[in-house]
Amino acid sequence: MGEHDITDKVERLNRHALVMAIWSPTIFVAAVLFHAGYLSQSDWWFAAAFAALIIAFCGHLIINVILQSGFTAGETALGGTLLAVSTLVFFVTMLVAPDDLVTRLQLPVGIGLGVLVTVVVVSMLISFGPRRAFEKFDIARSNNRRAASRLPHRGGRR
Amino acid sequence: MTFLLVITYGLLFVYSLYFAAQSARLGRKPNEFMNAGMALPGWSVMFLLPAIAVAALGIERHLLLVNHYGLQASHVAVGLITVAVAAVLIWNRIWVATRVASFRTPGEAIGRYYDSIALRVIMLGLCVLFALPYSANILSETAQLVEQASDGTISRSMAVWIFAIALAIPAIIGGWRATILVLAMQALLLAVLLPGIMIFGEIVLGGDIFPTRPMPVADGIFWDRIPGVLQAYGGIGKNIPSGGIFTTIAISSTAISLVGIICSPATLYLGQTTKPGKAFGIGSVWLTGGLAAGLLLLVLPVIAARMPDGLASYADVLAEIVPLAGVAAVLLGVAGALLAVSFFVTGGTIILISELVYTYLFPGMAPAKQRFGARVGLGFAFFLLGLMAAFMPFTSAVFASVALPLALQLLPAIIGFGFMRWISRGAVLAGIVLGSLMVIFTEPLGLILFEGLFVDLPWGRWPLTIHSAGWGLALNLLIVLLSSVVTLIGPDRYQRDRFHNAMAAHPPASMSGGGLLWALAILWGFLAYGPGAVLGNFFFSDPIFTDLKAIMGVPSLWVWQLLFWLLGVVLVWWVAYSAGFGRTYASDLKPVRLGMPDAIRSPDWIASGLNRVVNRREGEDAKAEPNARLLRPELETKQPHVQPDRGKVK
Repeated sequence: MGEHDITDKVERLNRHALVMAIWSPTIFVAAVLFHAGYLSQSDWWFAAAFAALIIAFCGHLIINVILQSGFTAGETALGGTLLAVSTLVFFVTMLVAPDDLVTRLQLPVGIGLGVLVTVVVVSMLISFGPRRAFEKFDIARSNNRRAASRLPHRGGRR
Repeated sequence: MTFLLVITYGLLFVYSLYFAAQSARLGRKPNEFMNAGMALPGWSVMFLLPAIAVAALGIERHLLLVNHYGLQASHVAVGLITVAVAAVLIWNRIWVATRVASFRTPGEAIGRYYDSIALRVIMLGLCVLFALPYSANILSETAQLVEQASDGTISRSMAVWIFAIALAIPAIIGGWRATILVLAMQALLLAVLLPGIMIFGEIVLGGDIFPTRPMPVADGIFWDRIPGVLQAYGGIGKNIPSGGIFTTIAISSTAISLVGIICSPATLYLGQTTKPGKAFGIGSVWLTGGLAAGLLLLVLPVIAARMPDGLASYADVLAEIVPLAGVAAVLLGVAGALLAVSFFVTGGTIILISELVYTYLFPGMAPAKQRFGARVGLGFAFFLLGLMAAFMPFTSAVFASVALPLALQLLPAIIGFGFMRWISRGAVLAGIVLGSLMVIFTEPLGLILFEGLFVDLPWGRWPLTIHSAGWGLALNLLIVLLSSVVTLIGPDRYQRDRFHNAMAAHPPASMSGGGLLWALAILWGFLAYGPGAVLGNFFFSDPIFTDLKAIMGVPSLWVWQLLFWLLGVVLVWWVAYSAGFGRTYASDLKPVRLGMPDAIRSPDWIASGLNRVVNRREGEDAKAEPNARLLRPELETKQPHVQPDRGKVK
């Protein structure tokens, strides 16, 4: 698998299919576990569901390492959006749902979402180091649209 | 649960459609539709191999057998080790041969090597057998499962057509690459669902877990041991074996029959169209020999002990607690079955069209037209599949029963192709014919026909508890060995030598310690599922070297199975990594030409037949082309055509 050329269209599709093949079954399993947690009122099912998602994320990281690639822009956008929407839905649920539901969901889902964010941050720290990991979010320093700003001696890094 | 089931299957369909569209949008050469550019990603093949091996057993069928017969039926799963060894050996050789001699399909490879049209026709017959009755039987059983799971809301015939259409559309759009990429995901889904459902079921249902909860078998069946080495048993339909049907000979012959799935044309084609790399090794050692065999031996009996009334009732029980878990249980049966259906219909149709239509009927067809033809062919094949599954379930089941054993009859031909140059064409053909007859007459196909037309036969299905594949292969090998002895120096030996010399130049060129490896393999087979496996009945509970009894809490046979599963993984590892069959290399492939090149026009008898029904003008044009290359039979028989006036000076 060392001969992987990610610039080739076929190789991109192959990598995309592999990533989807890892995530799809895991998301289904996580859905079953969330369903079980919601119905059975046991926090362990939620923990198992978040563990399934974390395992899939680790699988994605392993794919990146083996194929010597990184997260694509689409993957980053999709992951970020899903995490943001989940967090939003969680907060809205906490505000508007009946008290017993809030009591049941608040701790396991809140901690689970927190752990997901932590896993992403830790993986970035391990992959890029603290400085480059921070620069991924440093929009203020990379908002110069001029092409010349991308030159290293101009201090640009986009 | 029905609504959730429909939604889940709908999502699977959307997934397939997405990757089909992505594959179609690649804009690659049209002929890549059929062969994926001979560069399927290694990961897809390594995920798919264990799923194909499990499909040979059939998850739902195996669950029912284990539920009815206990650990003696579960013992057959040790045969996945043999499947893994066969896969890594056969795939490696056919992969190298494909690159060395530019073969496109397995039929072309075997046919050209032995210089035999008959073998190509046999391969095409197997393509049809796997693509239609075998797949139709699986589809019909799956539709039955869906009907039960949905309490009749989705009828069997409706499910058949929904599945047939849902499998056809992605295959028609995306071709071979998209099909394999999607099936690889489904293979992973199965690998997750099998242990997941077991763990989930044991947690939510409570009570004793297998083996504390014994298998609910019928009276007189030994659920925790093998009922002997061999039994004087007339066969299914004649009498009932005592203690169960799975004697060691039944287990070993059934396990060997699973190798038939590796000899099937679509599986060989999958090996041919894979990129170079380590996929064969990882897929066979860790995923088939390790994961798949381990899951079937460890996990499946635990699930089977919970489902006396089949998978659908087990899904209902789970669905009452968590509806989505019930869907997952149904999906375990459905995804595994549809994976096999999609694989064999798509692969078989592509091979059939490539071999028959583009080689003989329309040899000069442009690549874009070939792709269109393949799409039409796939649509037609899935339509026939739906027809057979919906309206001919009994006929499908009868023909499906001979698919694996008949494919296994190709094993001597493949061994000769890959390893033993002294196996000759005549020997292979004689072996296949007699072995196939033996298979047919120990399966319902031959028994029903013969007994319906003539008189009752004294034996039934699988006499002496020997699987039809075992009967056929034993006779086949005997014929091949005896015939090859007298044809050691035949006229076609030179070509076989040339081919094997070219193959030997590519790794693994030699196997150091090969003798020890095969000696250990035979010893392992003897003890794992051969006659020696009866020792496992009491070996760990009543040790023969002491009067003491061991109290382990699990049946001795289960421990024996797990022990020889682990030893089997070491065996596959040896073949794949130590002997080097698990890796393929793209470099330094010096091509050889085997046999005559393919004709660029169809044989006269086919062309004239076609001209009668399609385009007379085209036929006349073809006659006017004297420079068209001839087929080999024509080359041998036809005299050069000399015009009467040629050479005269006016």
